[in-house]
Amino acid sequence: MNNPATGTEFQPFSPDSPISNEQLASLVNSEQGKISPLIYQDEAIYQLELERLFGRSWLFLAHETQIPDTGDFFSTYMGEDPILVVRQADGSVAAFLNQCRHRGMKLCRADSGNAKAFTCSYHGWSYDIGGNLAQVPFEERAYGKVDPAEWSPTKVPRIEHYKGLIFGCFDKQVPDLETYLGDMKWYIDLFLDRAEGGTEVVGGMHKWVIPCNWKFAAEQFASDMYHAPVSHASPLIASMPPDMDLSQVGWPEEGRQFSAPEGHGTGFFFDTPEFLFPMLGEEAANYYVNTSAGEAIERLGDMRGRRMNGAHMTIFPTLSFLPGINTLRVWHPRGPNEVEVWAWTLVDKKAPDSVKDAYRKAVLRTFSSGGMLEQDDGENWTQIQKGLRGHQARNTTFNVQMGLGNDTHDFPDLPGKTNYVYGEMAARGLYNRWLEMMTAKDWSELTIPTGDEESGHA
Amino acid sequence: MLNHLPSVALAEHPATTPEMQQAIEQYLYCEAQLLDNREFDQWFELLADDLHYYMPTRYNRTKRAAGQEFSSPHEAALFDEDKQSMSTRIRRLHTGMAWAEEPASRTRHMISNVQVHPTANSNEIEVDCCFMLYRSRLERDVDIFVGARRDLLRQADNELGWQIVKRAVALDQTTVLASNLSIFF
Repeated sequence: MNNPATGTEFQPFSPDSPISNEQLASLVNSEQGKISPLIYQDEAIYQLELERLFGRSWLFLAHETQIPDTGDFFSTYMGEDPILVVRQADGSVAAFLNQCRHRGMKLCRADSGNAKAFTCSYHGWSYDIGGNLAQVPFEERAYGKVDPAEWSPTKVPRIEHYKGLIFGCFDKQVPDLETYLGDMKWYIDLFLDRAEGGTEVVGGMHKWVIPCNWKFAAEQFASDMYHAPVSHASPLIASMPPDMDLSQVGWPEEGRQFSAPEGHGTGFFFDTPEFLFPMLGEEAANYYVNTSAGEAIERLGDMRGRRMNGAHMTIFPTLSFLPGINTLRVWHPRGPNEVEVWAWTLVDKKAPDSVKDAYRKAVLRTFSSGGMLEQDDGENWTQIQKGLRGHQARNTTFNVQMGLGNDTHDFPDLPGKTNYVYGEMAARGLYNRWLEMMTAKDWSELTIPTGDEESGHA
Repeated sequence: MLNHLPSVALAEHPATTPEMQQAIEQYLYCEAQLLDNREFDQWFELLADDLHYYMPTRYNRTKRAAGQEFSSPHEAALFDEDKQSMSTRIRRLHTGMAWAEEPASRTRHMISNVQVHPTANSNEIEVDCCFMLYRSRLERDVDIFVGARRDLLRQADNELGWQIVKRAVALDQTTVLASNLSIFF
């Protein structure tokens, strides 16, 4: 397969995949809800994921407010590829491999900042903020001419924006971002579009490492409300008045889960705003549940503005949100056995400073490396991954059958396919899309038909 | 050593006495021992009511932007706690369902490079130190956290004679190379 971004004439070392599509298909049976643990652990599958899945999906690059001014840059990754995301003089965003084309040195080793140019610290090749080769030391005498059109860093050929989020894709064939998001757009707006002016990131971010496969994290945020009452019991108990115990607090039972054919998923409760208070504290929860609700209902309707609470969601493959709690994170893969979590706190741009600061603290105390809820998630995924070192353990079958047969397109006021909130429909959807991405020849085999009556847009 | 963390130490201060130096070092060792012995309730008693327990996030910056190596006060932090939130964290550990600490970590807080600085308040002192925090968990998980700490201690009527008013921790990692920070620094 030629590299679609560079069109390089070099052929990969091993042009034939060591794993056939038939073998891959045998690992994921989304109709029966059966998954082989090998998909989380096998190195060859992981290398295919980097090529076929991360190389062809829309991936989150940055939030607009991280790079407001010309020359502002953010160093990130697409899969394992280092990427520089840079604001251009005309307001647009450029993204390119953080790799000098001469001998491959990383062009920029700062996490973020402002630059007028990126100069390689090895031999001094210098690139403008758009990623175009601008200067080569001793060019005339040493080379004669080095053509910038040919020798600039690999560009991310597709960049699109959705309500404050900047995405990139290495595959020129990918459908536009809004098509890729499909019905999930309707759901993520409850995070990104509650208030006029949209969202902004709280300055700074959290980065940490969890020794587990990226799919455990992506799947949980797409599809798993089921773990919350068990995994996250302790912070709830600790936040209760001393004379209360768990038996006095029932977990909500009413809610829905949504699964998109594009692999995205979300789940949420109905009418449970009271749960945000122990989690976020009075100021942030009051803003979400009361102060900002009127405008949210006006913009998004009653269902999204008021009734959907406690949502978890994943944009396929690795971008996850918790609207209301307001964390946004990317699960950067680091081999089959490790993920690097990059997490931000998002707030409504127009929220008062005191609310923004309350959110900042609430998120770091709940969903960060030291967060009282997040700690328990990492523990689960880490111990699963360790178990998969065993030959027998990785040759069992995982049960992803919750809610099989209960999908419906007819739930009132919710677009697309939904199911009960405690379910695994969205996990089955995510793994089904994983298999499609892993086996398709190109995007012509991956495009989801739109406009059919089943999509059920509200 | 800690010029990026806020300081209330007197600019020109008299050298601390050997007695004070020794007393403060002993205090820090006793406090570390409480944490390593998982005596979290006794440790909590050392925290002042106006506690600020803080660990900023840290970034790789070019020399030109070196002033932004640490997050500013209203940006993402690893810890930004008051006494109430520390109480919740400790209560959580007692539930038996705080899975990242169940079974519990084995920690060892090593404290060194202790420097004692008088402040304008005669009953408060600022103490800088370095730490190495070793954590062993379950069968073979190991994390090592190294960094610097700046404490503001206040004389108090408790068993150890001092309470912790402020603790600012500069962790020497940008990407935290651990699956969680379920322990105290």
